[in-house]
Amino acid sequence: MTLALEHVVKKYKDFTAVNDLNFIIGKGEIFGLIGQNGAGKTTTFRMILDLQDQTSGKITWDGIPIKKVNRDWLGYLPEERGIFPQMKVEEQLIFFGELRGMQRGELKKEIDFWITFFDLEEKRHQKAETLSKGNQQKVQLIASFIHKPKFLILDEPFSGLDPVNRDLLKEAILLLKERGVTILFSSHQMDNVEELCDHLCLLKRGISLFSGSLLDLKKQYGKTKLTLRTSFPLSELKKMAGVKEVKIDRDEYLVTLTDESFAETIFDVVSNGQYIEKFSLDYLSLDEIFKDKVGGNVE
Amino acid sequence: MLNKLWILIKRLYKQKIRAKSFILMTLFYMAIISVILFWSDIKAIFVNDEALEVALVNETSVELEPIFVSNEEITFRFPSEPEEELHEQLKQDEYDAVVVVSEEEETLKADIATYVPLKLVDQSTISSFIQYAGKIYGIQHLNLTAAEADRILNSEPIITNTNLNEGLADGKSEEQKQSGMWVSYFVGIVIYFFIMAFLSMITTDVASEKGSRALEMLLVSVKPSTHFQSKIIGITLLAFTQFAIIFGFVLVLLRFSNQGDKWDKVVSIVEELSYSYVFYAIAFLFLTIILYLIIGALFGSLVSKVEEASQVMTPAIMVTLVGFYVMISGVANPDTLLIKIFSYIPLTSGMVMPMRIGATDISSIESILSLMLLLATVIVSYLLSLSFYKRSVLTYSSGGIIQKIKTVLKVTT
Repeated sequence: MTLALEHVVKKYKDFTAVNDLNFIIGKGEIFGLIGQNGAGKTTTFRMILDLQDQTSGKITWDGIPIKKVNRDWLGYLPEERGIFPQMKVEEQLIFFGELRGMQRGELKKEIDFWITFFDLEEKRHQKAETLSKGNQQKVQLIASFIHKPKFLILDEPFSGLDPVNRDLLKEAILLLKERGVTILFSSHQMDNVEELCDHLCLLKRGISLFSGSLLDLKKQYGKTKLTLRTSFPLSELKKMAGVKEVKIDRDEYLVTLTDESFAETIFDVVSNGQYIEKFSLDYLSLDEIFKDKVGGNVE
Repeated sequence: MLNKLWILIKRLYKQKIRAKSFILMTLFYMAIISVILFWSDIKAIFVNDEALEVALVNETSVELEPIFVSNEEITFRFPSEPEEELHEQLKQDEYDAVVVVSEEEETLKADIATYVPLKLVDQSTISSFIQYAGKIYGIQHLNLTAAEADRILNSEPIITNTNLNEGLADGKSEEQKQSGMWVSYFVGIVIYFFIMAFLSMITTDVASEKGSRALEMLLVSVKPSTHFQSKIIGITLLAFTQFAIIFGFVLVLLRFSNQGDKWDKVVSIVEELSYSYVFYAIAFLFLTIILYLIIGALFGSLVSKVEEASQVMTPAIMVTLVGFYVMISGVANPDTLLIKIFSYIPLTSGMVMPMRIGATDISSIESILSLMLLLATVIVSYLLSLSFYKRSVLTYSSGGIIQKIKTVLKVTT
């Protein structure tokens, strides 16, 4: 066990931003906190980082109350992007590193590594304000973990990045995980969460709808996503027992089942002993589960 | 934590001291002070101030000519031509004025004729000569000897001030009060200019960090109280650096210019000052600047972006302006009720109280009371601001300053 939230509540007078939140993040794990805007993600991050006090409940790191934890163990990338515009890239990283107690020699090595990793070598001696938005974001990201934190919180780290830099960031997150860093992050892009997270917590208006492993969440729904490529008539398919919804994607039927157990019967009827080009039964994607759980769009 | 505080102070200090705006502002102050100190020399380069040419016609029976002694500003001539001819010469710009002095019912009468109207200062100069001549004329009519007349005109009373209430008065001489007045004026101006420059600097600095969201990353590694302290200490150091540069420059300028004439004047002023006055002046200067920096940092934490900084600073600037004008009014009379009231208000006492201490005979209890009030306000403001800063620095809201305070209280309590 590393980070544990137990019955955490945050109230603003008559408004409850976070209500009875519980989750545990294991050491070296990547944990996703997902929810719509206003679900309470940033408030939760701020409580963990001791930037805000919780109304009630307990937040601990290895059993120690978070307020007593050495702040240099923590790293944070806020949702809103911001660095010191007048400072040069390298100066900025040295400042944040030294502020977290790193020695200049070790800091230099880390800066060299991450600047090369994120392809910022040419920008090293430029003022932050002269960089593109994406490059500023990369500098801020490096600043958040340059001091080798034990626990890193990334609030919407992927927003605003192009696909190439998004892949670079995923690679960086996995590298940090390899180094033993425990990571908590939020994202509106469910494919990223699905790709990176071991465990997650799904928030809706401050209430946790699910907390656990991604596989457990998917198992809750079962394998109800059926993809068919066949000449079987659509009208017949829709009438079959266990079929909740049928969508057409080019030459394929995308069928949502009410329960996984109907799949075998459907296979028998559709194939009828004949050749069938495609019959694939899968778990729902996190995006589909999310939409079903929170009942709306992510953004 | 001390190390983190030092890192924050170092970054702020280095960034601000290298800023073009700071360098230009320091150079600007130095240039302005140089111009003020050497105004008469600079004026002499650009303006050819010739002495006023005045023709004096004495139609009285008394010999008044020795009274009208020429100096750098005025040259008296005593022509024998008739008045009409002198008026012609006046038109031809040979004279600036023709003064005809005559008698009327045992009183001196003077007619001043000009072709181009005289400046106020020139009118006053001629008038003062004529008034003195009037006194001489009156004395002459009393049939006094020259020695008797001289005694009347030059007799200086010996004035000794004795206050029997020992606890009340410290019995300053007029010279000490004049010196106190000059130094207080200097302290007041320093406080005013420093507040104007550094209140704005600290407010916009906190506001820009908050607006750029860099603050959130900082506050993960340092406590809001450390961040708050770093701003106050960093900007105070910067303010005193600027003060030291300008003050050092002025000292060098005074010491090595005009064969040290001005330096001697400054030394004579400083010699009149007591140690207690110097202590009070420095204490008021230091505490007032700290108080305004605390307010500035707090105001900066209230706004959501740097553009809103000037809006929240306005009340503090208004109070400073009021204090400054009250202090200016004290140059004419430092004993008014207005001065007394403002010398106890912590936001203005730094500008007003040194004047009362230096230029009036107030009891030491009053000075201590005002200083203690200021010190208590600094401590209370610091503690309250610290508590409020923790809550406001990550709260983003719109509206006026009152609305912003309400929002902070609403979302953090």
